[in-house]
Amino acid sequence: MGMAEPAYTVASDSETTGEEKSSSAFPEIAIGIDVGTSKCSVAVWNGSEVELLKNNRNQKMMRSYVTFKDDIPSGGVSNQLSHENEMLSGAAIFNMKRLIGRVDTDPVVHSSKNLPFLVQTLDIGVRPFIAALVNNVWRSTTPEEVLAIFLVELKAMAEVQLKRPIRNVVLTIPVSFSRFQVTRIERACAMAGLHVLRLMPEPTAVALLYAQQQQQAVHENIGGASEKIALIFNMGAGYCDIAVTATAGGVSQIKALAGSTIGGEEILQNMMRYLLPDSEILFSNHGINEIKSMGLLRVATQDAIYKLSSQTSVQIDVDLGNELKICKVVDREEFEEVNRKVFEKCESLIMQCLHDAKVETKDVADIIAVGGCSYIPKIRNLVMSICKRQELYKGMNPLEAAVCGAALEGAVASGISDPFGSLDLLTIQVTPLAIGIRVEENNFVPIIPRNTTMPTRKELSFTTFRDNQIEVLIVVYEGEGEKVGKNHLLGYFKIMGIPPAPKGVPEINVCMDIDASNVLRVLAGVVLPGSRHPAIPVMEVRMPTVDDGHGWCAEALDRTYGSALDLVTVQKKI
Amino acid sequence: MWKSKVWNLTLLSTILRRRPTLLSISHFQSNSTSPFPSPSFSTISRISNFDFLGNPSFSGKTFCSESAEKSHVHVRCWSCGNVANGSLFLFCDSCRSIQPLDQSVDYFQIFGLERKYDIGVENLEGKYKDWQKKLHPDLVHSKSEKERGFAAEQSARVIDAYRTLSKPLLRAIYIMSLEGVDVDEEETLSDPELLSEILEIREAVEEAADSQELNQIQSQMQEKLDHWSNSFANAFQCRKFEEALNSIRRMTYYQRVNEEIVKKL
Ligand SMILES: [Zn+2]
Repeated sequence: MGMAEPAYTVASDSETTGEEKSSSAFPEIAIGIDVGTSKCSVAVWNGSEVELLKNNRNQKMMRSYVTFKDDIPSGGVSNQLSHENEMLSGAAIFNMKRLIGRVDTDPVVHSSKNLPFLVQTLDIGVRPFIAALVNNVWRSTTPEEVLAIFLVELKAMAEVQLKRPIRNVVLTIPVSFSRFQVTRIERACAMAGLHVLRLMPEPTAVALLYAQQQQQAVHENIGGASEKIALIFNMGAGYCDIAVTATAGGVSQIKALAGSTIGGEEILQNMMRYLLPDSEILFSNHGINEIKSMGLLRVATQDAIYKLSSQTSVQIDVDLGNELKICKVVDREEFEEVNRKVFEKCESLIMQCLHDAKVETKDVADIIAVGGCSYIPKIRNLVMSICKRQELYKGMNPLEAAVCGAALEGAVASGISDPFGSLDLLTIQVTPLAIGIRVEENNFVPIIPRNTTMPTRKELSFTTFRDNQIEVLIVVYEGEGEKVGKNHLLGYFKIMGIPPAPKGVPEINVCMDIDASNVLRVLAGVVLPGSRHPAIPVMEVRMPTVDDGHGWCAEALDRTYGSALDLVTVQKKI
Repeated sequence: MWKSKVWNLTLLSTILRRRPTLLSISHFQSNSTSPFPSPSFSTISRISNFDFLGNPSFSGKTFCSESAEKSHVHVRCWSCGNVANGSLFLFCDSCRSIQPLDQSVDYFQIFGLERKYDIGVENLEGKYKDWQKKLHPDLVHSKSEKERGFAAEQSARVIDAYRTLSKPLLRAIYIMSLEGVDVDEEETLSDPELLSEILEIREAVEEAADSQELNQIQSQMQEKLDHWSNSFANAFQCRKFEEALNSIRRMTYYQRVNEEIVKKL
């Protein structure tokens, strides 16, 4: 890449969405990418099996970060310098997967303020101010930009190795990602010149790999051909995701998904706070020395956590500068106590997922624990003890399972077939989060419940809140909260020109449709009693509609409109 | 307290139609095979945009009606021209092309079952997965837009068929609809005895102190559901449709109680 060329190109958003343009006779095989919060990997179907690509330092796992140092930012794929050193200068931005598509009121953004670069919030529902320190000047950036720069490098690396241009990718995403966050990921891919063929919730990629392995076992007459239920626990640095899948004949039907933003980062921050209780105050000014101290503390703590996976205690000895020294022995029990809440949350997620899947632990054939955190003994134990098992599934590399699944999906979705039937695979996905609308008193009414098999279409009836109400506002949210404030805003539109009628009379039907390409459409129509025809033209809106910096929230709506445009759910008849 | 409205053809689906894209792929059918108990998007082409009635590009000739006429004659694969044996033709075995939706094939036929209420649900999932492996839109990503449209429709219909047949209440409503008897799920409860029973149970659910109590009510509901499921089976077999409808009504209410319990658990 020449010096004058930009590191990435900006393509239009529409390029990444919807139907792809061409289908040639020899489809290119989409590569699988697992962009982790901390590390990233790329894999591709090589004609007979999945192969992980390596960078020029022979690494399969590359650090997910970008350094803004010279004119051209560089990422963890090609950069020769070590991440640890760059982290100390404030020039490296990482954890973009935790930050992408989040507004500055989000707790995850708040918990990112003690990263060794700048994350500032105004708490008004706009994008946070994120910046890298370059020659003593804060250079602002966005998670999308950072991710795009990183993806450009990954793309270049894959193109060199595969000796062909790369365009189609299958990306893994966390279960708890909202559809708005998904658009940000697609945006980053478009900036990097990549087309997203599929986005797979991480544990469903693992489920596909599992389906392939089971299919292989059937072919080799090791296992029976009957259906097997597996629980997949996937916890990396940024997210904890669970899936229950029922597999037979190479088809993985996802029974339920559950996800949360707890991960290794939270464990790390808990430990840093434990080692240096007032670290956040000490480092809040983000001076060059403070950043260095934050970086050093981070590296030392991370190292200690790794060691505690194999040893029962660890000696931490680090000089943070500014006369701050930490010299402490931490044992595994302390570590587990400090992170008790994280582990409890993991347990409750597993329970919730089993409950949603309507599966009893005795019916679970295999328990699969993957992701970086699956090396933590406490995590392994809690997963096994909930399922009342003595051991975990052994057939997968915990760090490579998701990217291998993504590569399999890449081959399957590209229409590649394998003479030995290794690609005779399918994942039937479900909705990871409920999608619904806002009704009176800021309540959230799901229209498509979570864990609904896709594609799907659901409809609910509503009515007006006031007499002669001629407009209603359809506000679409995604999430599990009973109040809309807890959920992700996807967009909104008004239905206007409703014929005046007493409250409760107009029948306002809201329909949600997720098609085979995972595109969400919301339709709203009004029918008056006694009529079979719509009172006004039906509105159809593709979601999400919100864009960056939407400082829009339930309170703002309340302040401006009160209940003037509210909808009311139609009460169930008895 | 809201309740999912049945996918009722007097609602949006009558108001809206999908625009036939390249071909006149099926539109919804406004005949008696509906309403389906669950959101049955399968009656609507899923690949293109909604459009309003009277869209000039709407040909008016739907595939459904066309295929209904033809189903007992010869069906040819649109892609290779191979003649299908039998009326069930979702997928061409000789060229592996997915065929257009044929509404004359009912859910029981899709699963290779006799049209009766008592079916072994344990075998459904395997058959469902077999179909999805042939029909799922994910697997035809590199094929033509036309075939992708067929895949979306066929796969959605198989999902619907699976969901409908695997749940006793939905299966009961569906098999009645095949006999031309429609079930009005929205009807107001008029039987005072059943009404007071339901109110009583609901009160018990509201006031249940812990999950143990809820579980107890749930297993009572399950017993009642099993009982009325048997009554339905008998009534249906003897073609006593009034009795069958009564069983469905009972099942509907006990089912709703169960849903309330699940929400609280
Ligand atoms: Zn054919």
